[in-house]
Amino acid sequence: MSEPRTHSVKDIFVDGPIDPAFVGTSIAKHATRMDIGAHEIFLGQVRADVTPGLTRSREIASVGGGDPASIGATPGQARSDGGNVIAIDYTAYREMALERMTVIREEAFAHWPSMTCLHVHHSLGTIPAGQLCFMVFASAPHRIAAREAVAWVVDRIKAELPIFGREILSDNTHLWKQNM
Amino acid sequence: MNVLLFGMIAEKAGADLLSVEASSTGELRRSLAARISGLDQLSYAIAVDRRIVHQDVPLTGSEEIAVLPPFAGG
Repeated sequence: MSEPRTHSVKDIFVDGPIDPAFVGTSIAKHATRMDIGAHEIFLGQVRADVTPGLTRSREIASVGGGDPASIGATPGQARSDGGNVIAIDYTAYREMALERMTVIREEAFAHWPSMTCLHVHHSLGTIPAGQLCFMVFASAPHRIAAREAVAWVVDRIKAELPIFGREILSDNTHLWKQNM
Repeated sequence: MNVLLFGMIAEKAGADLLSVEASSTGELRRSLAARISGLDQLSYAIAVDRRIVHQDVPLTGSEEIAVLPPFAGG
């Protein structure tokens, strides 16, 4: 699929899990692009973390400088007797997230100008453990650009997009996920 | 002005939108702390017109203001 280089604001959000079949279809769409020699794909999956029980307290850091992802953390919100994460309920500040994503996309193409295309999808809503919630897919003539771009874009998204995750636990409590 | 709340802060406030009077982001933080119990123990950022501001900046009331708890994408 030819992707225009105009970098208009694209909606990365999808309701519910990312279907593995969608990943396959996405790959297949590139079969007409004879200039592509490499695809790199990152897929995020909801992990059934085991929580330690009672208040899961994380280190507290101040907001000070830095973006929220580097804030460190806030005290554990919900009291929990412990349990597995059975799902994550994702919400987002959509407008800001899409604006940030547009900037990240433009910077990625500036850093790796040989990159042929870049596709990003992130789930919203309740995603059960074991399901896919995040996909970053880059294609390029050679593997290095695709590989580096995907790693860089994944890190930037985790740090800069205002996406929030409520971890639903098997004991019917919940905790708020936060990227470190 | 209306302030957008997200994630654990919306949960604490019991709302995803609050009407707050503030002439700066510093005043906004104080107003929010008075309105939302326990907020002062949380780390959060303030976005003005979809950009995070780290300094105390003046507000006219026409901006889009959002209160953002730590991010969890991916």
